[in-house]
Amino acid sequence: MEVEKSTSLPTSLIDKSVFPGDIILDLTSMPDQTIKLGAGLRQDCDVVSAVKYGILRFKKPNKYWVESSQKRYVPSAEDTVLGVVMDAKPDNFLVDIKGPMIAFLPVLAFEGGTRRNIPKFEIGTLLYVRVVKANNCMNPELSCTDASGKAAEFGPLRDGYMFETSTGLARMLLSSPTCPVLEALGKKLSFEIAVGLNGRVWVNASSPSTVILISNAIMRSEFLSAAQQKIMVEKLMQRFQV
Amino acid sequence: MATAPTSTYSPSNSWERARQQQKKSLFRKEDWVRSDGRNFHQCRPAFLRTGATNAASGSAYAEFGSTKVIVSVFGPRESKKAMMYSDTGRLNCHVSYTTFSAPIRGQGTDNKEYSSMLHKALESAIILETFPKTTVDIFALVLESGGGDLPVIISCASLALADAGIMMYDLVSAVSLSCFGTNLVIDPTTEEEACRDGSFMISYMPSRNEITQFTLTGEWSTAKINEALELCLDACSKLAEIMRSCLKDNVLS
Repeated sequence: MEVEKSTSLPTSLIDKSVFPGDIILDLTSMPDQTIKLGAGLRQDCDVVSAVKYGILRFKKPNKYWVESSQKRYVPSAEDTVLGVVMDAKPDNFLVDIKGPMIAFLPVLAFEGGTRRNIPKFEIGTLLYVRVVKANNCMNPELSCTDASGKAAEFGPLRDGYMFETSTGLARMLLSSPTCPVLEALGKKLSFEIAVGLNGRVWVNASSPSTVILISNAIMRSEFLSAAQQKIMVEKLMQRFQV
Repeated sequence: MATAPTSTYSPSNSWERARQQQKKSLFRKEDWVRSDGRNFHQCRPAFLRTGATNAASGSAYAEFGSTKVIVSVFGPRESKKAMMYSDTGRLNCHVSYTTFSAPIRGQGTDNKEYSSMLHKALESAIILETFPKTTVDIFALVLESGGGDLPVIISCASLALADAGIMMYDLVSAVSLSCFGTNLVIDPTTEEEACRDGSFMISYMPSRNEITQFTLTGEWSTAKINEALELCLDACSKLAEIMRSCLKDNVLS
């Protein structure tokens, strides 16, 4: 039985849903080109096929990737995530970042960190950290400093409320220009927010009812368009007379 | 339900046997109409939904006629320390029946066999090299067993894996077929499965045009196998289309 070659051009699948097994590109028809494949794509001899369900994205000149939104996180370097401390060892803290393996945070990876001033984190502490090294056969490595060694807002997050969402919603909240739901909330309320690319969001505000309002608004905004998000936030605020 | 070896008078048993004999002869007629009105080459209508279980990384619910299955996928998560390092991921499948899934209350009889068959059907579709040292756990729960359980479990599990974002070569769809004399009947129900002469089940990856698992029981001639294979491949392709539209709809909703 012959395999049917996909006759669609590569451009026809961009920004559309692709399923595992879909053939994206036929490399024999594009010789002498360098193509960069991101997450969710795989090269099989002379075709490029999708291995995940998501939306195919293309960035000029030659980057292709599959954007998908899941509950679980695949660690990759230079991501900022929210982790929960699971255990403390002499050399590093074991931090859960919702990935396949537990991540290590070296005890010295803090600004001005020496053997004498090792921070004491209890089990369950929420940390805002940066992923330094991540490949799929080793435990990921984290750091509480940015690339130049400064603290830059990394570290423990006190008070507030943390909830889990999908990775797609977290990316939407971090997009620039500011996500519509955050903009609409920010006009009337004052709050602090930390978004991790692993799907964890932390919110802190002066009163608990504000925190609940903000977290509910964010959780509901995942599949709404910009205009719908604004309307939803206005309705929520009217109900609670803010 | 066991019959005694000596000639003890047990009216219910002989009545059951007589009914079975009658059904067997009925099913072998050319013009037999199935109990739910389908013709021989028509599958049951499929209802599929992803995101059924909140706690799991990915999950799916499938309803094919009266067979209802829910599958949850957890992982990849760390293997137990006792297991040795492996440079490919591990797949752990478990199929269980609820006590109320069959007309007679009690545990199902084919649980362990189905777990390993599910494993074989899916392991060639998942790219295990992408998650070394970790395990993906698949738990399938059959809420109601209305016939053709294993194909529904396999299709639902592949949908749950896609929902969890685990890298796969392709979606796997599975269909089974029973033969009664010269009749080939696709997607049998429990009562049809009880009196069949032979069964044929395939798990198929449509885009790659590859079969991941093929199970055949009974006596089959080559011509019948060819006919059955064509019917099943066609049904699997159509089922894969339904699975794709289910994935798409759930994200947009």
